[in-house]
Amino acid sequence: MYYYLLFAVIALSSLVIKGLFLCFIPPHKIPPFFEKTLRYIPPAALSALVAPSIIYAKGAEGMVISSPRILAGGLAFLVAMKSRNIFVTIVSGMILLWAFSCFVPF
Amino acid sequence: MTGPKEEFFRGGRSVMPILIGLMPFAVVFGFAMKDASMTGPQSTFFSLSLLAGASQLAAVHLYAAKTPALIIIATVIAINLRYSMYSLSLQDLFQKRSFGERLFAAFIVSDQSYAFTMTEVEKNPQNSLITFFFLGASVCIYMTWLAGIFLGYNLGTIIPAGLSLDFAIPLVFMSLLIPHLKGRDRQISALSGAVAAIILVPVLPLNSGLLVAMITGICCGMAYSSVKKKKVD
Repeated sequence: MYYYLLFAVIALSSLVIKGLFLCFIPPHKIPPFFEKTLRYIPPAALSALVAPSIIYAKGAEGMVISSPRILAGGLAFLVAMKSRNIFVTIVSGMILLWAFSCFVPF
Repeated sequence: MTGPKEEFFRGGRSVMPILIGLMPFAVVFGFAMKDASMTGPQSTFFSLSLLAGASQLAAVHLYAAKTPALIIIATVIAINLRYSMYSLSLQDLFQKRSFGERLFAAFIVSDQSYAFTMTEVEKNPQNSLITFFFLGASVCIYMTWLAGIFLGYNLGTIIPAGLSLDFAIPLVFMSLLIPHLKGRDRQISALSGAVAAIILVPVLPLNSGLLVAMITGICCGMAYSSVKKKKVD
């Protein structure tokens, strides 16, 4: 019973956060300052999600700097800018990562 | 002219590339629940009641370590706070939708479906059926997530970590980021968000580095644009 109670609270509190502005705080109650942030949420959020997973690999002892990831990620970013194509970016990024992992040991 | 159904499937198809990276993560989460000796009904309940991968994995680890409930709940909230920003960002698109539909959107939104939807908005601002695109993308991701959990729970870690398939996720986010880099202010926002995340994510507790980095990026972009405006005046 403890289990279901705990995880129901977890699910509900997360739903409140996820729906905070979609469901619970109506647009007219949002301070105008927040409207100015809108333009920057996607670029800031995406780059903050991307950057650490390019720089670090998750190992047994936490996050470690990984040079194959940095090299492959940096080149893949150039590919992404040039090609503007997700599949081309994934395929070249993964192949570069596998190649660098073979030749760059850390 | 395409209809709601076409937009739904177009959304679903658009997220296909990221499923390669999402699958191993879901498998790891499924296996983590098994490893934490959660029963079938318990893990089914947790998988169906929430979609927020990183926080769920953290919750399972803490639960397995017999952490006090309040700390588990606080951790999950800290990791999920960034969703409130997605919620703010999506508000405009869902203005005309009913409360129930908005609640469902809140339930099913993920980093991935948010990113694909906002990139679609950036490319086609006129798309009036964007909510169907969002729904298709989100449902496709949720189904894959559940399938991966099922595989991981029952079969164990079947995807070798040596393949580094998790790297596919930043690769996809990277190409989704490109269309949002129009304008110097947004470039500065992205760059400062990235630098802040590299510095803060490994050092701040409870994954809160990610949220602080996002806020840093947003503030730097706003600061740049207000300084720029003052110069023009």
